[in-house]
Amino acid sequence: MKKIFSFIILSFFFLIMGSHAVFAGTIEEEFKIEGLISPASPKALKSALEKELEVKVIDLNLKNTKTGWPVLTVQFDSGAVSREKIENVIGEIEDPAGHKYKVHHGPLLANAPILDEEEEAIAILGDTAEVFPNMKNPITDKAASASRGGKLFVNNCAKCHGLSGNGYGTVAHSFTTWPRQLWVWNNTGEETDGYLFWFITNGRSDMPPFGLILSENNRWDLINYIKTIKNPGE
Amino acid sequence: MAKTIRDPRIRISRRIKKDKVFKVKVKFDHPSFTGLGIVDAETKPVFSRAIPVSFIRNMFVYFGDQLVSRFRMSSAIADDPLFTFKLKAIQEAPVKVVFVDNQGKKWEASKKIKFSN
Repeated sequence: MKKIFSFIILSFFFLIMGSHAVFAGTIEEEFKIEGLISPASPKALKSALEKELEVKVIDLNLKNTKTGWPVLTVQFDSGAVSREKIENVIGEIEDPAGHKYKVHHGPLLANAPILDEEEEAIAILGDTAEVFPNMKNPITDKAASASRGGKLFVNNCAKCHGLSGNGYGTVAHSFTTWPRQLWVWNNTGEETDGYLFWFITNGRSDMPPFGLILSENNRWDLINYIKTIKNPGE
Repeated sequence: MAKTIRDPRIRISRRIKKDKVFKVKVKFDHPSFTGLGIVDAETKPVFSRAIPVSFIRNMFVYFGDQLVSRFRMSSAIADDPLFTFKLKAIQEAPVKVVFVDNQGKKWEASKKIKFSN
């Protein structure tokens, strides 16, 4: 009798535990996070979230996410905490620099479609004033010119294009598009002279017009140097 | 970084003579951000998306009904920029500027030009 009684009690106990597991088990959810802006941000977010709520931060993926937004993976008991509550708490956390976090919803609109005013301006002023002239490089001693161009490159171009011409210069991190990898011009012929000269002279987007900064001969020296840059991976 | 966006304001000298060049100053409180932040991934700092990218994309200048200039910009533009440019006073007409940002939002301001004696 005693055994039957304990069996019933145990069955009842496991039934309750089982139903709890079905309806409110431990789950993992992902949150795209906005506001991770300073080096201290990830640590501050993790510790504050674990302190405020009974959740466990499994991972904070800062790189190689599908959308580009950092992804926070959190494990929590869905019976005790809801996704909405976690989102609210994330929105209230402040990092040491005073930035607030936010859960990102919806796609990122980096550049909206062009408006009527912009269409009208393109119709009147043209899209871009890009007419690449056919030009001939006037410098005959290419080796000496490339040597001079190398020094000019370090002083004027490497900040954005990188010392090796890989497009990852220190300043380039703040640009919307990475500068071009310059080894694409390696050993190109005379047909690219006009284009390169025009581009260096006039600039485009984040690149300033070096026609205002460098003399014509300096620009040809740069072109001669750029044509010697090789892909270090090859 | 400006947290709020204020409508653009135009300042023009009161002393403008016909056919002379005059200076126009336009102030627009608008945040500018690449959207990137540098965060510590415990091994080494990495660049990551931080907040939605925000910058002024275009500024158009109209003198009277005519579009006279276009300023194209990128996220390299400063927060709350001040633009200064010159126009030739060929007519008594409003100078209008129209701003468009990367989200497709539009702002405009205008000021009438009157010749002084």
